[in-house]
Amino acid sequence: MSGTLSNIYSNVSFALQLHTEALARLQEQASTGARVNRASDDPSGAYQILGQNSQERLLGNYIDGLCEAVNTLGLSSTAIEDVMSQIVEVKTRLTQISSGIYGQEQRKLIAQGINDALEHIVLLANTKRAGQYLFGGSDTDSPPYVAERTDGKITAVTYNGSLEQRNVEAAPGVQSSSFYVGDNIFRSNERGDPVFLGDTGAKAGTGTSSVRGDVWLTVIHDGSNYKLSIDDGASYVIVPAGGDVNQAVTDSRTKRILYVDSTEITSTGVDLVRIPGTYDIFHTLVTIRDMLENDRGLSEAQLQGLLINSLNSLDEVGGLLVRAQVSVGSRIGFLDDLKDSLQKLQYDAQDEAARVQEADIAQVAIDLSRREVLYQMSLSVAAKIMSMSLLDFIA
Amino acid sequence: MDSYSIGISGLTAAQKALDVIGNNVANAATDGYHRQRIELTPERTSQVGDLILGGGVDITGITRMLDGLLEREILRQRSSLGQVSQELATLGIVENAFGELSAAGGLSSAIDEFFNALQDLSAHPSELVWQTQVVTAAQTMAGRFRTLGEFLAGLETQVTIEAQNTIEQVNTLLTQIADINQKIQRLEISGGQANNLRDQRDQYITELSELVSVETIDRKFGVVDVCVVGIGVVTGGSATELEVGLKEDGSLGVSIVDAYNYNSDVQGGRLGGLLSLKNDTMAEVHDDLDSLANALIQQINEYHVQAVGSEGSFTELTGWVMPSENLADFDPPVTDGKIYIRVIDTGTGTITRNEISVDASTDSLTTIAAAISAIPIPGLNASASLSKLSITADTGYEFDFLPAVLSSPTASTLTAGTPPTISVSGIYTGTVNDTLRFTVSGAGSVGNGSLELEVTDGGGAGEVIATLNIGQGYAASDLLDVGNGIRISLTAGDFGAGDNFDVDVFADTDTSGVLAAVGINTFFAGSGAKNIAVCSDIVDSPARVATALGADMTDNANVLRLVGLKDQTMSDLDALTPVEFYRQLVTGVGQELSVRQMRQDNVEVIIQNLTGRQSEISGVDINEEATQMLVFEQMFQAMAKYLNVIHSSILTIMEMI
Repeated sequence: MSGTLSNIYSNVSFALQLHTEALARLQEQASTGARVNRASDDPSGAYQILGQNSQERLLGNYIDGLCEAVNTLGLSSTAIEDVMSQIVEVKTRLTQISSGIYGQEQRKLIAQGINDALEHIVLLANTKRAGQYLFGGSDTDSPPYVAERTDGKITAVTYNGSLEQRNVEAAPGVQSSSFYVGDNIFRSNERGDPVFLGDTGAKAGTGTSSVRGDVWLTVIHDGSNYKLSIDDGASYVIVPAGGDVNQAVTDSRTKRILYVDSTEITSTGVDLVRIPGTYDIFHTLVTIRDMLENDRGLSEAQLQGLLINSLNSLDEVGGLLVRAQVSVGSRIGFLDDLKDSLQKLQYDAQDEAARVQEADIAQVAIDLSRREVLYQMSLSVAAKIMSMSLLDFIA
Repeated sequence: MDSYSIGISGLTAAQKALDVIGNNVANAATDGYHRQRIELTPERTSQVGDLILGGGVDITGITRMLDGLLEREILRQRSSLGQVSQELATLGIVENAFGELSAAGGLSSAIDEFFNALQDLSAHPSELVWQTQVVTAAQTMAGRFRTLGEFLAGLETQVTIEAQNTIEQVNTLLTQIADINQKIQRLEISGGQANNLRDQRDQYITELSELVSVETIDRKFGVVDVCVVGIGVVTGGSATELEVGLKEDGSLGVSIVDAYNYNSDVQGGRLGGLLSLKNDTMAEVHDDLDSLANALIQQINEYHVQAVGSEGSFTELTGWVMPSENLADFDPPVTDGKIYIRVIDTGTGTITRNEISVDASTDSLTTIAAAISAIPIPGLNASASLSKLSITADTGYEFDFLPAVLSSPTASTLTAGTPPTISVSGIYTGTVNDTLRFTVSGAGSVGNGSLELEVTDGGGAGEVIATLNIGQGYAASDLLDVGNGIRISLTAGDFGAGDNFDVDVFADTDTSGVLAAVGINTFFAGSGAKNIAVCSDIVDSPARVATALGADMTDNANVLRLVGLKDQTMSDLDALTPVEFYRQLVTGVGQELSVRQMRQDNVEVIIQNLTGRQSEISGVDINEEATQMLVFEQMFQAMAKYLNVIHSSILTIMEMI
């Protein structure tokens, strides 16, 4: 017997409650466009969505960082290219000098041009982007290169930046840096054996010298012994009788050592000692500029020979810049590729999250009309059953 | 005169039957009403000669139509529904509070943004705008934690209040059941039938079952005893009041008033749901949220205390007020270990590293402060007043806890006349504190011959980790890579045979955990979701966000360590990363909610089916009652006619006399 009042009421209200809940859910899906609006709608789906959303935020942050890194490296590349242009210009002038006849005044004019190039390169080496120095390694707050001047002229350029790279996580598990250690770019570090250019008879000793670039070895004789200096006479070492195959000559200013074989020294004079693989751009330009100004009073022939040799040091620093440029370029390429990969991953994450979360609107519309019909049918059937009564037939 | 009696009994029966029908129809919509039926039996017979004659009809009773087993099952299911509905409603509130998957984003996006801000800072460690972004992101994350923590705490309080209100309703119903029991007993002892009272009492029991799981025991004279949580709360006409209160372990339980013997194992009904929420589900959610906040606080602080920001070393640091002076009382606990403090003479640039030993069982803040003040190198003072540790540097001095290697060896035995100057640099990447011993192999000048340095860990007692050429091929002042991020360089000079020097390297400058525990140079303050906050020193000065570990304080090594925490599994978080743990927490609540939703749907269907069956047995069908009414109306009319016939017959006889 299922026609009791309470039974009919209970059945109708239960059915209406079910339909109302279903309609509310469908209405929410239709209005938000999302199938999963809270974790309880689909816990495993929600876990995926939250994970993909988190992944998307993370990748977005990596991509922003990569864009910035690429821009920074792009500026570094431009700065290095400008330095290369300056070096090429200096080399062209130096080639002209070595192949033509230039007087002292003309050489001084070219020296002035090289001095200007040096100033420009120091400026480029201290390039900043968004308040950060590009070539200071992990120290991006202070100018990495500090010029020492005498009478306004740069006499030395010191690297004051950090020797540490500032690595950041460019992508999950991938570390990269957008700030180069200037000392690695503008100075080579492939020390070779010293080359003595001069007539004194001094040769390289057996020890490993610590001096860098070009060093002027001054050989004098005090009447009984030869004396050697690499700090323009600020300090001397006395060559013992018969010489020494490995005599240490120290620069009193830098404490760096040049090991000299003094056994075959036969005359006084000034030798230029080149240490290949240790040149830095600034010291090279200072040396060439000073050579052109010829403050040491070198002979024309000696000067010409040294200038030709200087082309080698310019080639070395030029090669250094080319390597740096290649390194920056390949890093830009790598980071660009990485950015593309991350953008693809971010798109996939968005797509996957949307696939799990978004509602099938057509299906929602069909379900809504189905529920609507069922709702109406529940009411209609209840009214029908309620309206049938024996009481209508009792007189 | 039997015929009159028969007629009158028939009329009475039909009249009573119509009364019952009227009562049924009148209560057709009354909750808990059970359809009643008049029970008629033939009146005793009388024998007249060989004939056995009936004596009319007798009303033996009016019974309620019910199925006891069905009624009990409905009670049980209603209890389940009460519990699951309560749990569902409350967990729904918790889920909404988490706010995940909404456009505004919840805590998960705040955690992501915090780590993303740290990652941005790793590319710009000394820039205020990025430091400020980290502080803002950390404040947002801490704010979300606090909002959720306070919400959960408030909800737990609300649940407790709700449980108290529910127990009051339970007590009211128990009193009403006992009262009605008394009335039924009084009525039925005197031979009456209290069907409507029984229905009323049963309805109260049904209402009670929605509040808490009940067991009923039928007694004589229609009395029903009621048990709740194994306690006989209604015995006949007397009721025992219950109360809710906290057990020693903090869980909520039910006890007889003033007995203080709280039982938290309450199942069924709203009360069961509330207690289950308070003691299990919400407590777990709250604990998990606290664990997550605490793990982030601990891990971030552990790294933060050792490093410095772009503001550099410190002149003054003050910790937070501790609940106790004694290290043994700290929670989380600290361990025996060492704290290494660097003191910097800003005038000369001299840096010394000083070691403070910590005994977790005997030391107090005062003894730690005294040990810091007693450092033989001047420049540092410490105090511990009001259970708060303060360290201050004298004018011209600064201090920090950086693990950076000192630029010179910590000990050396150099026997040659002009030994080289040894410089140490780099950021140690090893995982344990160590002393590296460098022993010279050979003798002579740096850069000459076959001079080598043999590097042994464990202060010389461990394994050889590197052999470095410092003879021919090594140019004085060039950097030599020792490994694990450490580099040395030697100026020109001479070594004697067997010369050696030591370099201390540090992975952790507070192996005791005291600095993080007392709030010295910490990033976060607090211990859980409800009180996590960014330390006021950091908020006031974002440049104190500790980014660097290196001696020149320009690196980003520490901020990289902090960024790495996002991918680091933590033992306190079930070996999950913070983000994974939170995701699991949120979806865990969703899962609980989903399971309860399914359970509620199932129980509703079961109840619907059971009540359908109950309606078939106990419900009032108007048409059926109308049919019955026609039957008894006809019976009444027939009996009246019968009496009329009897009366006419008697009159006829009378007229014959």
